[in-house]
Amino acid sequence: MNEVIIMNAVEIKDLYKSYEKGKIKALNGINLTIKEGEFVSIIGPSGSGKSTLLNMLGALDIPDSGKINVAGKDLKSDKKLNKFRSEQIGFIFQLHNLIPNITVRENIEIPMYTQKLSSSKMKERALKLLEDVGLYDKADILPSKLSGGERQRVAIARALANNPSIILADEPTGSLDSKTSNKILKLLIDLHKDKKVTLIIVTHDMNVAKLANRFIEVLDGEIINPNSDKSLINNQINI
Amino acid sequence: MSFLKFIIKNPFRRKNSAIMSIIGIAIGIIVIVALGGITDGLINTFEDTIHAGGADFSIAGKETGNSAFGTNTIDSSWTDKIKTVPGVDEAYPIYVVLTSIGDDYMKTLIGVNSNGTGLADISVKEGRIFKDNANEVIIGNIYAEDNDYKIGDTIKIDGENFEVVGISETGDQSMASGVFTSLSKVQDLMDNEDSISNIYVKVKKGEDAKKVADRIDKKYGDDIQTITSVMEMGQMAKMLNMLQASTWAISLLAIIIGGLGIINTMLMSVFERTREIGVLKAVGWSNTKILTMIIGESLVITIVSAIIGSIIGYYACVILAPYMKITPLFTPKIFIQAFVIAIIVGIIGGLYPAIKAVKLPPTEALRYE
Repeated sequence: MNEVIIMNAVEIKDLYKSYEKGKIKALNGINLTIKEGEFVSIIGPSGSGKSTLLNMLGALDIPDSGKINVAGKDLKSDKKLNKFRSEQIGFIFQLHNLIPNITVRENIEIPMYTQKLSSSKMKERALKLLEDVGLYDKADILPSKLSGGERQRVAIARALANNPSIILADEPTGSLDSKTSNKILKLLIDLHKDKKVTLIIVTHDMNVAKLANRFIEVLDGEIINPNSDKSLINNQINI
Repeated sequence: MSFLKFIIKNPFRRKNSAIMSIIGIAIGIIVIVALGGITDGLINTFEDTIHAGGADFSIAGKETGNSAFGTNTIDSSWTDKIKTVPGVDEAYPIYVVLTSIGDDYMKTLIGVNSNGTGLADISVKEGRIFKDNANEVIIGNIYAEDNDYKIGDTIKIDGENFEVVGISETGDQSMASGVFTSLSKVQDLMDNEDSISNIYVKVKKGEDAKKVADRIDKKYGDDIQTITSVMEMGQMAKMLNMLQASTWAISLLAIIIGGLGIINTMLMSVFERTREIGVLKAVGWSNTKILTMIIGESLVITIVSAIIGSIIGYYACVILAPYMKITPLFTPKIFIQAFVIAIIVGIIGGLYPAIKAVKLPPTEALRYE
């Protein structure tokens, strides 16, 4: 019988990051491993360092010290971080951040400018993604004509534009009502399963965190329970 | 959607701001195009005078060096002598006199052989050429319009009646206001049978007019002089230089004002789109791509301004020229110059905001509210 070897999507060892000449310690010796295809949530209160950790994972910021390897790339030594982001990472933000003067489809094509794709190929890929998020018929309208939930679905499609191996979502439902929020989370989980991408969500909402296979709790720049599973979260919620 | 289409769409997101920038730069371009057209028109008119119409230069008697159309005369036999100078292709005698014409007590009458009218830059728009020694004239179109003369009308010249047989059209202001008849008729009127005032000279193809003129000056310089050298060294050259310098000074001012306007617009645009620039960085756009986008947007504004400014500048000049009694000249050089300036303003104006955008750390840009 063939054994399936699962690689690590994220390997972090002794990661430190501080701001304002060391006065603010955002990350204080983080050690973390996330396997390929895993769905992990990072929870913690405001200022705990969870967003800084997400920025490090997405190569938007560089650490002061420690090792960080994401999708096989050493982010501390890699000079072409924009290329890495373009090929490996899909970002979803709390606010959709769609460009207002171009259509829904054109917004999804924005990350594709980093690839050498023809206009027709970009269009074809964007329409397929819109179909995946259930907005195929809204391709040619401006984002202002969409509801909050629909805009966030477009943002999800944009995050998947270059077939990334990891999706990083920073409070993806933070600005949505609970009903829309549930729909968006279901969509994210479905896409994570269908496309077999690693999904890492930063949230301070336990109801969101509990949907993950595993949650990581961050406090004062440190991970306090790196291997908690859903039963633990449920217990915490019950408490 | 192509990257180019995205760049073209972006500046018009803030329509009012884009329109104000376009107006600001277009005004500069209007000034550049209109002043360029006027200056080139004036230069062309002056050069026409220097080059004596279709000729490369003219020759006058020694004492007439301070005027292109002096009243001192030289013997008509000089025409044949000039023809023998190496490099000379054609030499035509001309007799320019000041006399009473119509209501003008003193006006220029130009006598030229009917076969030499091309060299004198006379092309007949209406009617026909005059006959030798006949009381017939061709008048310039501006003179005809100003005095309401038509073909068949009679003009009194030096007490004799002359029939208007043709109306000429020329880009040269002095020629367009002139009255022309045959050389023999002017000699007859002046009672000066073998005299002429000037010789128009055309050099052979490939010959340098200045060198041929120098050859004539060297050989016959004691008796005659070439007008080219006189003009080049004279006030007219200085005036042309001043005109060109002031055009450049005004253009420079327009560039500075336009440049400041575009820097302001693009800085505002980058400022308002801070989060968006953060997203573009997050999705993997390189600094070069962001720089290209911002400078590209700046160029879209300046190129649109150049198109609008060139059209308005051209038509404003064409419409106003008759009232200003000038003949503007629009060469491709003027429009190329306007577009090159617009492109330079676009690049310089977009560069600083683009560098600001590139230097924005993505995490800060994404946090910006």
